[in-house]
Amino acid sequence: MAKTDTPLLDELEKGKWPSFVKDLKQAAEKNPMAKDLLHQLELSYKDKIGHWKHGGIVGVKGYGSGVIGRYSDRPDLFPNVQAFHTMRVNHPTGWFYKTDTLRKLCDIWDKHGSGLTNMHGSTGDAILLGTTTDHLQSCFDDLSNAGFDLGGSGSALRTPSACVGPARCEWACIDSLDLCYNLTMTYQDQMHRPMFPYKFKIKISACANDCVAAIARSDLSIIGTWKDDIRIDQKEVLACAEAGMNIQKEVCDLCPTRCMEWNGKELKIYDEDCTRCMHCINLMPKALRPGKEKGASILVGGKAPIVRGALLSWVIVPFLKLEPPYDELKSLIERIQDWWDENAKSRERLGELIQRLGMRVFLKAVDLPAVPQMVKAPRTNPYVFFWPEDLKKEVK
Amino acid sequence: MSEDLKAKITELFREKSKGDKKMFYIRDVTKWLPGEDRHAIQNAVKELLDEEVLKYWSSGSSTYLILTEFFPKE
Repeated sequence: MAKTDTPLLDELEKGKWPSFVKDLKQAAEKNPMAKDLLHQLELSYKDKIGHWKHGGIVGVKGYGSGVIGRYSDRPDLFPNVQAFHTMRVNHPTGWFYKTDTLRKLCDIWDKHGSGLTNMHGSTGDAILLGTTTDHLQSCFDDLSNAGFDLGGSGSALRTPSACVGPARCEWACIDSLDLCYNLTMTYQDQMHRPMFPYKFKIKISACANDCVAAIARSDLSIIGTWKDDIRIDQKEVLACAEAGMNIQKEVCDLCPTRCMEWNGKELKIYDEDCTRCMHCINLMPKALRPGKEKGASILVGGKAPIVRGALLSWVIVPFLKLEPPYDELKSLIERIQDWWDENAKSRERLGELIQRLGMRVFLKAVDLPAVPQMVKAPRTNPYVFFWPEDLKKEVK
Repeated sequence: MSEDLKAKITELFREKSKGDKKMFYIRDVTKWLPGEDRHAIQNAVKELLDEEVLKYWSSGSSTYLILTEFFPKE
C-alpha cells in the first residue's frame, strides 16, 4: 500500500458530519506520528483488525495511573507509532478553561506528542493521544509546571467529573463544581495509586437532568434534587397555555407519576407523589422551579457494558444535604469502597457485586436503612427480607 | 511499615512468578496472605512500588502488579 493512499478512510470523510479523518490528515501534514497513525488505521480497515498492542506502562514516577500504554503491532511499517501512549490529564472541574491555559496544554502536547487530542474522553479527562515512552516524564513535568495533573486509569478511582452546575445553570441544586474539586483533592491517593478490584467512577450532576449522565456511567452518582415543593407561578403557567402549550398533554400526561392536575386555569402538583424528574420544569421554566430545600440523591452501581451488561445506578440515599466539607458523603463513600474492595472479585464493579451479594447485604455493610425510594420496581426486587436471626425471633 | 510483610510479599511474588504467569491483581496478593490485614498489605505493596521492587502493569482498564525484573521490555 502506498503511504499516501487511504481510500477506505476517505469514505469516512463523505457525508454531512465533520470527520476525524480530515483532522488526522491535517495533523499528518505536520507530524510524522499522526501520518503513521493515519496509515495504520487505513491498514486496520483493510485487514479488519486493530493493529494496536494493548497495555503495559502506567504512568510517570510516583504514579500508577494516567498513562495508557499502546504499541503498534506493525512497527516495521509504521515506526513513528511503535509506541503511541495516551496521557489522561485531569480536566478542570466543569471543563472550564481560559484560552491561554488551553494554548499551554496544546503547546506542551505539540512538543511531546502527536498533537492529537480527544477533548474530552468519556471519563471527562483531556486525552492526549500518542507519545513515546521517553517523552512521558518530560511531558508530565511540563504539564505539572503548567498546573495540570494526570487523571485516573486502571483499577483506580477515575477522575471525578461534574456538570457545569451553578456556574452556568439555573437548575443547579448543589454546587457540583466545588464538590467535584473537593472529592478529587481528597482522593488523590485512590486516583494515582490503583489498589481497587477494578475501576470506580464518581460523577456529579447538579440536578435530575443529569447532564453528565451520572446515573448510567458511574459507580457512585450524586444527583442534585430538592426536598420541599416545586415552586409554581400560576400566572406564568397561564402564559404558557395562552402561548399554545397543551399543558394536559405535554406536561400532566407525560409526568411519570401523574402527580399533576390542570383544570385550564390552575396547575395543581401533588408533591408527595413527585419523583423530581424535572420534566415539567424543563417544559415550563418560567412557571415552575425546584423547591428551596436543596441537596442530592446518592445512587450506586451504574456502569456501561464491558465485562457484564449495563446497569443504571440505584438510589441508596434519597436526600442528603451537601455542604462543605462533605464529611457525611465522604464517610459513606469510604464505607462503600471498603466493602467493595473487601468483597469484589477482580474486575467486578460495585453494581455487579451488589447484584451478586444482594442489596440487603450491601445496606447492612454500609449501615444504611432500607427505604421505599430504593425500590426500583415494585415486586421485582424484594431484597428486604428478614435476616436468619430475625426469623428465629419471629418463630419463637 | 513491617519490613517482614514486605519481604513476605516479595518472596510470594518470586514463588508465584516461577510459572508463565507473572502479573497479579492486588486481590491475588491479599489472598496469598489470608491472616494479614488487607490495608496493611496494600500499604506494603505501595512501598514496594516506591522501591521499584514491584511495578504496575495496566491494560488501561485493569491494573496488575509485576516484579520489576519481569516487566516486559518495549
